[in-house]
Amino acid sequence: MDFLLSGFIKALHLLLNRDPSTWTAVAATLKVSTGSILASLAAGLPLGFVLGYFDFRGRRFIRTCVDTLLALPTVFIGLVVYAVITSRGPLGEYGLLFTLSGIAIGQIILALPIVVALTASTVENMDSRLRLTLVSLGAGKKDLLLTCLWEVRYGLLAAAVTAYGRVMTEVGISMMVGGNIKWHTRTITTAIALETGKGMFANGIALGLVLITIAFAVNMSVSFLRRK
Amino acid sequence: MNPGGPLYQLHNVVHCYNDTRALSIDRMAIPAGSVTGLIGPNGSGKSTLLKLLAFAFNPTEGEIRFRGRMAYPFSREVRSRVTLLTQEPYLLKRNVFDNIAYGLKVRKDTDRLVERVEKALATVGLPYQEFAFRKWHELSGGETQRAAMAARLILEPEVLLLDEPTASVDVESAKLIRDASLAARELFGTTLVISSHDWHWLYEICDNLLHLFKGMIFDSGMENILSGPWEKQGDKLYAKNIGQKEKIFVSAPPEGKSYALIPENSLSIIPMDAETTTSHFDNRLEGIITRMILQKSSMEIIASIMISDLFFTVRLSGETVRSLSLAPGVRVVIRFQKDSVKWL
Repeated sequence: MDFLLSGFIKALHLLLNRDPSTWTAVAATLKVSTGSILASLAAGLPLGFVLGYFDFRGRRFIRTCVDTLLALPTVFIGLVVYAVITSRGPLGEYGLLFTLSGIAIGQIILALPIVVALTASTVENMDSRLRLTLVSLGAGKKDLLLTCLWEVRYGLLAAAVTAYGRVMTEVGISMMVGGNIKWHTRTITTAIALETGKGMFANGIALGLVLITIAFAVNMSVSFLRRK
Repeated sequence: MNPGGPLYQLHNVVHCYNDTRALSIDRMAIPAGSVTGLIGPNGSGKSTLLKLLAFAFNPTEGEIRFRGRMAYPFSREVRSRVTLLTQEPYLLKRNVFDNIAYGLKVRKDTDRLVERVEKALATVGLPYQEFAFRKWHELSGGETQRAAMAARLILEPEVLLLDEPTASVDVESAKLIRDASLAARELFGTTLVISSHDWHWLYEICDNLLHLFKGMIFDSGMENILSGPWEKQGDKLYAKNIGQKEKIFVSAPPEGKSYALIPENSLSIIPMDAETTTSHFDNRLEGIITRMILQKSSMEIIASIMISDLFFTVRLSGETVRSLSLAPGVRVVIRFQKDSVKWL
C-alpha cells in the first residue's frame, strides 16, 4: 500500500509545483467539457421542455429513444464520431479528428440525451397549477417557456450537473477521437488511464484529485445557488 | 365588439377529459359587470367551466363568444382581460413583489410599479413593508391566497373568475378576499364569476346563480337534486328512504340510481302545526328550518330545511315568511307531487 501513499504525496507535489503536463490536461478537460455542456444545454433545454410539456403524436416513442440513448457506451460514441470525422468520413474534410473539437462533438452526443431526458422529467413533474397560473396572468408563449424553465431551475441545474459530470469523466470518446496527444488532446481521464498503464500512480492520483475537486466545486456552486 | 350584449355566450359547449364528459352546456350567457355564482357539488364541472371562461384551453365541442366574438383560437389580447384565481393558487418561486408584478411585466406595463403593488397588497390586507419581499414559501395559506388575489387585482381585469377562493383560508382572509373581489367590481367594473360552497355569500352578492350538476347547468334557482337508489314500492311507484321513517315517493326512474330534480316551483312549505290535510300530495316531509338567507338581488328569502340528513332549499317571498311566521328552528312540512320530479 506504500505506493499509494507515496503516489498521493507525489501527486500533491506535482499539483503545487504546477507540473505543466498535468495542468495542460486539466485545461484541455475544462475547455472541452465546458464547451460541450454549454452546447448540450442550449439544444437540450428547449428540446426537453417540448418533450416534457407538450402532448403530441409520437411523444412516448421519442421519450423511449431518448431514454435509451442515456445508456450509450462512450466507446461506441467514440467509434461513430471517429468514423464520421476521419479523413474517409463525411466530415473528414474539416480535420476534426484528434482535436478538442472532435472530442466536443462526441461529448455533445453523450450529454444531449441526459439534458433532454432530465429536463423532460423535470417539466413533466412541474406543478400542474403553474401553467394555469401563468395563462391566467396573461403570459404569452415565450413567457410561458421562460417562466416554466425558471420555476424548475433547480431540476434543470441538477440535469446540467449530471451531464457535466458525465462528460468530464468519460474516457472512451476522448481516447478514440482525441487520440490522447500530449499537450494537445490529452484530458484528465485519458492521462489517468495512460499514467496508470505506465505505473505512474502519482500522476494518475494527482489528476484524479483535480477531477474530484472540480466535481466538488461544481456541486458546491449549485448548492449555493439553491440556497439563494 | 358587442355593446350592451352579454360578455360571454356559450353555445353547445362540451368538454371531456379523455372520454369522460365533464361539462355539457347548451346555452349560457354572462352579462358584463354582473356577479354570477356557480353552485354545485364537487365534480359538477364548476372548475372546468371557470377554466374555459379563463381561456385556459379550448372546449372539446361548441363555441365560446367573448363580447360577441369567437374567443378561440385565443388571442393574447382577449386572454389578458380575464384572470382566474383558484382554490389553491400557485405562487411563483420568487418574492411576493415579483409575484404580484408578474402579470404587469408580461404586459410590459411597468409604470409606477411599486405604487401599484403597494396598493394591490393593501386591498387584500397585506402591508407592503412586511410582505412585499417575503419569499413564496414564507407565507401562510391565507396570505398566499391573498397575495395571489393581489396579483389578479393589480391587472384591473375585465373578468375575475374565482374558484372556491375562500375554501381553504381562515375567516379573516376569507373576508378580505370577499371584500377585495367586490372592490374590483366597484373600482374597475369587473365582471365576477364565483364558484363557492359559501352559499350565504353567493346569495348575498350574486346577480345570477347557476346550479351545476354532473356537468350540466340548470337555470338560476334552487333546484333540489336527490340521488338514488330508488326502490320499487308498487306499480310505477318508487321510493327513497330518508332517515328511519320518511320516504320520498317518485314515479318510475329511468334507472335505479338516477338523480331526481325537484323544481323549486313544485315545492310548498307550511309550518307543521298549520298543516291539516295531506291527501292531495304524494310527498309530505317533516323537517326543520336551519337557515334563511336574504338574496339581495331579488329580495327573496332562501330557506334551508333539514329533513333527516338531507337539505332542501326553498325560495320564499318576504310576505310568505311573515304570514307563516317562518324562522330558523321552526318545524315545517314541505310537500310536492311525485310527478313533478324530473330525472337527470
